[in-house]
Amino acid sequence: MLIKIKNNIEEINKVCDKAKKFCEKNDIPEKKYHDIVLILDEIVTNVINYAYPDGNDHEFNLEIKKSGNYIIIRLVDNGIPFDPLISTDPDVSSSLKERKVGGLGIFIVKQLSEIVEYSRINGKNQLSVTVAIYNKEKNHGN
Amino acid sequence: MEIKTSTEEGITIITPVGRVDTSTAKAFEDGVMEAINSNSKIAIRFSDIDYISSAGLRVVLMAGKKLTASKGTLVLIDMPEKIFAVFKMSGFDKILKISSSFEESKSFFS
Repeated sequence: MLIKIKNNIEEINKVCDKAKKFCEKNDIPEKKYHDIVLILDEIVTNVINYAYPDGNDHEFNLEIKKSGNYIIIRLVDNGIPFDPLISTDPDVSSSLKERKVGGLGIFIVKQLSEIVEYSRINGKNQLSVTVAIYNKEKNHGN
Repeated sequence: MEIKTSTEEGITIITPVGRVDTSTAKAFEDGVMEAINSNSKIAIRFSDIDYISSAGLRVVLMAGKKLTASKGTLVLIDMPEKIFAVFKMSGFDKILKISSSFEESKSFFS
């Protein structure tokens, strides 16, 4: 499934609707559907908020496909170079008073997926996220 | 997303309905802050949301900080397992009060 997205935060609604259709069509379990929508929200929001500082209208591509036990998400935009993986993971053991939220979005994406890869190719940011439909070793309390 | 607010036994219960994401985080924040400004006993109910993104988690964290600083109380209630998993991986289960139901949460407010 290929989705064209404009750099407008309202587009998140469209992404969620399309992801729902994709998951229904592919019989993705409800819990995993939740994780996929959350991942899509975080990575698409990053591009909308940071990739196009010129403030003009732009469009970028999101591809979602199923391959065996995996969902592969690929996000390609021609915005400014932006590697979300360079942000340091938040200190999840800090106290309430000291706790900061920076980097939490991509941290959640990493926790919910098997592989997250970023590359800058031909002037484009490419982020790919691989999610296991049925978890084998990795388990987050479910 | 819409926000339902009710008061039971002196506790303000905020129930966001739908998606708590970047596009709705501001409305969520406004709803939570309005409640905090008029009451120090706050419960946020998570049973009616599809998901909460980092933008929404930021609001919950901010509410927790604010209420702790002012000697108020915030309890997160009725959290489905999938939502709790996100709070847990973020380390929020250790710094915020989470309760299975409104009934259960009452002990935190006494």
